[in-house]
Amino acid sequence: MGEILKVSNVEKYYGNKGSLTKALDRVSFSVSEGEFTGIMGSSGSGKTTLLNCISTIDSVTAGNVIIRGADITRMNSRSLAKFRREELGFMFQDYNLLDTLTGFENIILPLTIAGENHRSAVDKVNEVAKRLEISEILEKYPYEMSGGQRQRIAAARAIITGPALILADEPTGALDSKSARMLMECLESLNTGMRATILMVTHDAFTASYCHRILFIKDGKIFNELVRGADTRKEFFGKIIEVVTLLGGDAANVL
Amino acid sequence: MYFKLSLRNVRKSFSDYALYFLTLTFGVCVFYVFNSIEAQKAMMHISSSAQQIMKTITWLMDGVSVFVSFILGFLIVYANNFLIRRRKREFGIYMTLGMEKGKISRILISETFIIGVFSLAAGLFAGVFLSQWLSVVTAKLFEASMAEYRFIFSLSALLKTILYFGIIFVIAIVTSTVVISKYKLIDLINSIKQNETPKIKNPAVTTVLFILSVLLIGTAYRLVLKNGIASFDRMLAFECVLGAAGTFLFFASLSGFFLGLFKANRSRYFSGLNMFIMRQINSRINTAHISMSFICLMLFVTIGIFSTGLGITKVLNKGFRDAAPFDVSLSVEKDADLSAILSEHGVKLSDYSDSFIQYKEYSFKDDSLTLGTVLSKVEDQIPPEGRDTVIKRMYPMPVKLIRLSDYNRLMELSGKPGLSLSGSQAALLTQYAWSEADLQSLLENYISQGSHLNIGGADYSVYPRLLTEGIVNNGYDIFVLVVPDEAVQKSAVSGSVLCFNMRADSVAAQDRFEDALMAKGIPARCVSKNSVLAQAAGSKAIISFVCIYVGIIFLITSAAVLALQQLSEAADNKHRYAILKKIGADNGLLSRTILKQIAIYFMIPLALACVHSIVGIKVANDAIRQIGSLNAALNIVITAAAILLIYGTYFVATYLGSKKIILRN
Repeated sequence: MGEILKVSNVEKYYGNKGSLTKALDRVSFSVSEGEFTGIMGSSGSGKTTLLNCISTIDSVTAGNVIIRGADITRMNSRSLAKFRREELGFMFQDYNLLDTLTGFENIILPLTIAGENHRSAVDKVNEVAKRLEISEILEKYPYEMSGGQRQRIAAARAIITGPALILADEPTGALDSKSARMLMECLESLNTGMRATILMVTHDAFTASYCHRILFIKDGKIFNELVRGADTRKEFFGKIIEVVTLLGGDAANVL
Repeated sequence: MYFKLSLRNVRKSFSDYALYFLTLTFGVCVFYVFNSIEAQKAMMHISSSAQQIMKTITWLMDGVSVFVSFILGFLIVYANNFLIRRRKREFGIYMTLGMEKGKISRILISETFIIGVFSLAAGLFAGVFLSQWLSVVTAKLFEASMAEYRFIFSLSALLKTILYFGIIFVIAIVTSTVVISKYKLIDLINSIKQNETPKIKNPAVTTVLFILSVLLIGTAYRLVLKNGIASFDRMLAFECVLGAAGTFLFFASLSGFFLGLFKANRSRYFSGLNMFIMRQINSRINTAHISMSFICLMLFVTIGIFSTGLGITKVLNKGFRDAAPFDVSLSVEKDADLSAILSEHGVKLSDYSDSFIQYKEYSFKDDSLTLGTVLSKVEDQIPPEGRDTVIKRMYPMPVKLIRLSDYNRLMELSGKPGLSLSGSQAALLTQYAWSEADLQSLLENYISQGSHLNIGGADYSVYPRLLTEGIVNNGYDIFVLVVPDEAVQKSAVSGSVLCFNMRADSVAAQDRFEDALMAKGIPARCVSKNSVLAQAAGSKAIISFVCIYVGIIFLITSAAVLALQQLSEAADNKHRYAILKKIGADNGLLSRTILKQIAIYFMIPLALACVHSIVGIKVANDAIRQIGSLNAALNIVITAAAILLIYGTYFVATYLGSKKIILRN
């Protein structure tokens, strides 16, 4: 299995000399093809900053981010747009669907932007929709859908171009537990069925338990790493909870 | 503290709403300029009749200004409420911090006050300078020499501008206070999350509505083309209502219809961001169609009055020299020695002039030679549209004869070459060739038929050229005959005319002569060049000033409303474009998308307005042919250039502003 993402010694500083905030402090890790990786951490730990740096939305202060052999920290804005279009898929907590477009149109949009022929584009949309079980809602507008349906439309939009990496930022953050479970099963099927490489940021242990591997971030540094291995999801969930407890309440500090 | 806050707000949003501020300034400037006309005559050497006309113009401008202030008032109140809506969230934050609505209103009042004072000051400053330029134009229109250059400043126009705009700003403040008092905190805080739920219309219904709108507009066109606009009657009102209703329906159904049409062409629809643009416009048209319809109608009026107005001034421009060939002409409708009458009353011609010409007009008592004798020969070429009856009503009027020797003396006085006729020739003369293109062509046709006329029993052939020189100021006759002296023997004198040119400063001398005539009560019709010129220049000035004034105000108002809407939409669309950017659209594609979207909003109302105007100008042309033909093509080019410049500037500024709002981080 090849290496899709390699993050090495990434630093991101905010502020000026007077008050410097190290949002990311020498973070290094890598993700292999077909892996479903989670990043966990409490609010302000730097996990979203890390995702933004990987997704080319934000720039790094130092270090390199290499996706499928290309160093995105050295690209100009034009080739970044092309790179985003071709190699990355996005999912966000607030879906980021265009409210004026139907579900179908939202999914096909990355393909039309890339200038793909409309016939093959339509076929691709229908195929992905079938896999994600959203064929019935394709003609609806986002405001006519439930949160879970919207997020599945967003998932379809993320996968439609066949990207090297799907980046998901708290995809279950705005969903109730039932919808969250459905969405995670859907992402799991993308991962296993379509061999999509997924990097997901979350602070929810249940959502994280669907991953193969979890990186824990605290104060801008990688604090711990947890690999699911042969564990069942329930066992893995228990291990995650342990680490989260350790992360959040450093018992030694309290007592 | 509050004043400081408002000052900072104004400065912060200035770049976003610079277009609104500039429009306001421009409106104030134009308002001042056209109200300062009265003061301009101070620097011009003009006759008393011209002064009378100037008074009329000033009076008319007062009326038009009331209308204009309603239009600008609408713009200001609209824009003000618009800007408040945009800042809901900011007000929400103030309110959560514990500020009362009254205080928020006070911030708003100071803001409106600041913007008002600045735009008034800037507009008046620009207006004072622009009015210098206008006074040169006015002087040219009245052919007046600039007595001495003086800096024109009209205090009355200044006060009037301040008063009118003051009232408008007070109204704007009151409405915005009312708007604020109605807001609920929860709406203000959540305003950014609220999406306009797009109302999806049934495509079949929009198609039917679209076809209906085209039918309505088409019917209005057909009716107005058939009936003309010569008379303001109920039919015309009906046609206008029909056209306006069609226009509203057109914009209401347009985007739905085209979305359907566009969707059918899938390769076009699913290409680039076309789908996004179409959906954007369709989602907005529900709220935007009313303003788009108004803008379209306003643009139509602008195009119409610009081009027609320019045309009318051209018509009036050409011919007043022929209408007033001499400084003064006196006439009575009997056989009289006018110079003797003058000296009887103690008016000495030698005080005014070195030489004068008296001549007689002759006609036959019986109806052997009438206008009908000539005109009935070319009857089939008289343009229809009800005018034939007007001309036919003139048939029984006798044709007046002028002796060739009198004509040649008149030509000598006005410094033009004389005419020689053989003993059996008579020449047709019309003073109105310049304004009556139809009449001219009728008479030329008559001449080209090689016609003969029976004058007092003898046969005369018609001289092969139509004479168009003036023989009297503002003559009544649509044409006369110049005949050899002996031809008038059997006819009777029907009128006497005295013409002369002034010796020295003609403008002042004419005024003196007319005053003397009035004082002595001399029973003769006196037409001075001053009065003919003042009337011609006056009507020209009235038409062109009103057209330019109203046209500019309409144009900037509609362009400003469009620009404001688009800029605010850009702010609304910021997050949509951010999504597009995240899924891989580069800045170039986004810029093109913004351009297309704004271009559609600007061009569609303009396009329909142009189509309306083609019909409108055609109809107006037909109506104006009665007093002269318009050089329509040139006027349309000038109008198009003016509109392209002003409208285009707004378009470009809107595009750049939107791009800045959407693409800046």
